[in-house]
Amino acid sequence: MITTITIFIPLLGAILISLVRGDERTARYTALGIAAVPLLLATYIYFAHGSNLAGAANLSQDLTWIAPLDIGYRVGLDGLGFGMFFLTSLLTLIAVVASWDIRERLSTYFALLFVAQTGMLGVFASNDLVLFYIFFELTLIPMYLLVGIWGDENRRPAAIKFFIYTFLGSTAMLAGFLALGVLGGTFSIPELRGGGGLGTTAQIAIAAPILFGLLVKVPAVPLHNWLLDVYVSSPISTNVVLSGIMPKLGTFGIIFIAIPLLPEGVAPFLPWVAALGVVNIIYGAFVAFLQPDLKALIAYSSIGTLGFILVGAAATNAVGYNGAVLQQVTHGIYSAMLFIIVGIIAAKTGTRQIAELGGLAARMPWATGFLALGAMAAMGLPFLAVFASEFMSIMGGYEAFPVQGALAALGIILSAMYFLYMLSRVMFGPIVNPAYESITDANPVEMAAITPLAALLLILGIFPALLIGIQQPAVEAVLAAIGGG
Amino acid sequence: MPVTGAAIIGLLPEIIASVFMFVVLLGGVFAGERNSGIVGGLAVLGTLATFASAAVLLAIGFEGTFFGESYAVDNFALFFKLIVSGTAFFTVIAATRFAGSTGDAPEYMTLILAVVLGAMLLASMRDLFGLFLALELATIPSYALVAFDRSRRESAEGGMKYLVTGVIASSVLLYGLVLIYGVAGSANLTQVAEAFSGELTPVGLVGIGLMVSGFAFKLSAAPFHFWTPDAYQGAPTSAAAFLSVAPKAATFAVLLRILVEGLPGATATWTSIIAVIAILTMFVGNLSALRQRNVRRMLAFSSVAHSGYILVAFAAIQGGGQETGVQAILIYSAAYAVMNLGAFFAIDLVGEDAKSFNGLFKTQPALALCMGAFMAALVGIPPFSGFFGKAWVILAGAQSGSVLVYAAVGALVINSVISLPYYFGIVRNMFLEEPVSGGTAPKDDGGVRFSVYALAILTTIFILFFGLLVTLTGASGLL
Repeated sequence: MITTITIFIPLLGAILISLVRGDERTARYTALGIAAVPLLLATYIYFAHGSNLAGAANLSQDLTWIAPLDIGYRVGLDGLGFGMFFLTSLLTLIAVVASWDIRERLSTYFALLFVAQTGMLGVFASNDLVLFYIFFELTLIPMYLLVGIWGDENRRPAAIKFFIYTFLGSTAMLAGFLALGVLGGTFSIPELRGGGGLGTTAQIAIAAPILFGLLVKVPAVPLHNWLLDVYVSSPISTNVVLSGIMPKLGTFGIIFIAIPLLPEGVAPFLPWVAALGVVNIIYGAFVAFLQPDLKALIAYSSIGTLGFILVGAAATNAVGYNGAVLQQVTHGIYSAMLFIIVGIIAAKTGTRQIAELGGLAARMPWATGFLALGAMAAMGLPFLAVFASEFMSIMGGYEAFPVQGALAALGIILSAMYFLYMLSRVMFGPIVNPAYESITDANPVEMAAITPLAALLLILGIFPALLIGIQQPAVEAVLAAIGGG
Repeated sequence: MPVTGAAIIGLLPEIIASVFMFVVLLGGVFAGERNSGIVGGLAVLGTLATFASAAVLLAIGFEGTFFGESYAVDNFALFFKLIVSGTAFFTVIAATRFAGSTGDAPEYMTLILAVVLGAMLLASMRDLFGLFLALELATIPSYALVAFDRSRRESAEGGMKYLVTGVIASSVLLYGLVLIYGVAGSANLTQVAEAFSGELTPVGLVGIGLMVSGFAFKLSAAPFHFWTPDAYQGAPTSAAAFLSVAPKAATFAVLLRILVEGLPGATATWTSIIAVIAILTMFVGNLSALRQRNVRRMLAFSSVAHSGYILVAFAAIQGGGQETGVQAILIYSAAYAVMNLGAFFAIDLVGEDAKSFNGLFKTQPALALCMGAFMAALVGIPPFSGFFGKAWVILAGAQSGSVLVYAAVGALVINSVISLPYYFGIVRNMFLEEPVSGGTAPKDDGGVRFSVYALAILTTIFILFFGLLVTLTGASGLL
């Protein structure tokens, strides 16, 4: 019941905020109030049931919807989804705080953000294939409009490109889901674990469209065409959600549905999924290095580090799977944080071109410090959150696919290369533009958006067990169901 | 063939519709030219009463066949009667202002009620010649409806094209029916089923082919679809909206009844023919719609494409997909009725040029949200109604176990993506573009507005009564 309430509070909030009349201030405070509720509930769930998510009766619901086909309203939280469930509620709140660059039609903006939030929370808590798909698609129109209405001048083609690509993927995925449910005799995700009694050929035929759809959503590199325009055109607060959560709908689908439900079907594809992960890591790093635009650099860095999730998940061993589940969360924290800081820098200096920036450290010590922290986390430095998850993904990946694992490790060096280059160009050295003498550091609101993420990077860096502890039983259950180990 | 009391109860929706048909026509005579409101009110009352009577029959589980098994009142027929009378209800509300402006409101409303009567008879017919008569009763008034707007040249042109192609289609259909009758020696579907249980004779095959082609004309399936854009562009908006939904749903119903009750022995033949037609129809409809700048023409081609989607469900009625296939057709027809009707009505409020939708979200946010819901539903994005139609077609396809149907389902998936740019072109214009100056909406458009809002709500909350719909269609009485 708590899960259902948490999922649908943003939807009610969306209706509420479109009805509220008032000035900008009212809209912002109402949105803050609405966004705080799911975060409080998710925090409560962590402390009350974190030790035993799967056993907590009041977290799950199972209501019959379409009896003959065994489709139901089934929600529940387990260790695989909880991290992202929590992060979704956190990042939405951060997105509300970071919405300072949105001036027009503010309450509509928040309403769309909250509809998307319901979809995202729902995906991470679904235990039914049809419900999963409905929530998955519920995010599509709001994200399209968020980018399309409030993005920069390139927003219209970017938004429709995003829409067409992901819709193509998700429709293919839907066909796979429906075939799986029909042949398996149920749409319940936990009951279908291990293959649902399907033969190898059927599993492969079904796994192919499902993997395709999910990999477009991630995006895995040959399917990533839509991403750059969308990331670069979005307003900052939309970026927080776009890079922090949306790719995880894809990776979570692989971790929670494709691999556990179709173990024999995905088996022939897994080496390729790991290889795509490596391509993401290396391609992302090299292309990031070439970007003249700071935001594009972060976007490609984000594509790159998503690759570790694919490598770790494809390994299907305890270390790799745990690493992949954790990397979803850590990637979300660091990429959201970097996009916010880049947004602040761009707003203050009026440019995002790396060549035009330089010497900002003297004028913006806090922003610089946080940018450095985020970049170091992204490089995978120890005692920062990404380290543990990347390391585990690589370890697991190496064990299952030595070549892919070894190449993935290369990614850490490459990311250090372009991040250090970026930091040195943007932050250090002499001030290149006299106009930068007068810029100020991040203001309190901006700090409020960054600080929680920075704190989480440190906390999860030092105590990764806070999350690994709750995801471990779920990972073991998956591996037991698919007969791996 | 005695007319029993049960027959009168079973025919109540049809009786009510015919009574109101005359009442509206006569009411117009007595009310005079200026009182289109009274005529509209009578028509609204008539459709509502028809809807209510069909709903009551469905609720009490009324079943029976009458007139020597040639007329069946079962859940299946009643379901389609609900769709027909429900869409007619919203149509007459939306049409009142237009009908009043022509000065011929009683005639317009009478024609709509005549189509309602024909379509409802169609859904129940189990007799080859009876169904032909019912089909003509639904079609002939629709020629007049298309050509009704004398102030626009396109209306007469569209009506003429519709008439000529429609007559050819009727003769092809009739020829097919006659050949089937010749093979079976009876026009009753029960006897037809017996005659067609063995191996298919060449005459029988030609008969099935001609009949399916004739229906393909009526359903605007490719390659017999070319009358559709002209007819819908010429027709008054309310007529185009109504004709794209109600008679079409009833035609799907009767085709389904002939195929499932009359020709189960020839399933392999007709599923293959229909699968090919379906694939062709989807591609032709969507690829043509992509090029349209006129929203009316775009929706006309979109209705061609949606006929294709429904035909995929027909092709899936084999193997394990029989029950789900029939269900999918019922669900899709209901889902399509609410979304397509609403999308057409919105043209009356905004304009038929795609550009007239520019910036609608800023000028009329509620209307923009409604149109957005219709467009998303037509693409098939959950939680809107169209998604459930498409999902059930895919489900039926997955159960059918036929490679040709798998190909058709694959084509459906591809076509959903192809359709995205033109539906969301409207959404982009409404939400992302700046409003164009001028083009104020006419004032007394309350009826259209009511219909659009109500249909948008139905499209959006379809998910809530979907479970009920599945239960209802699961016990459709067919099969």
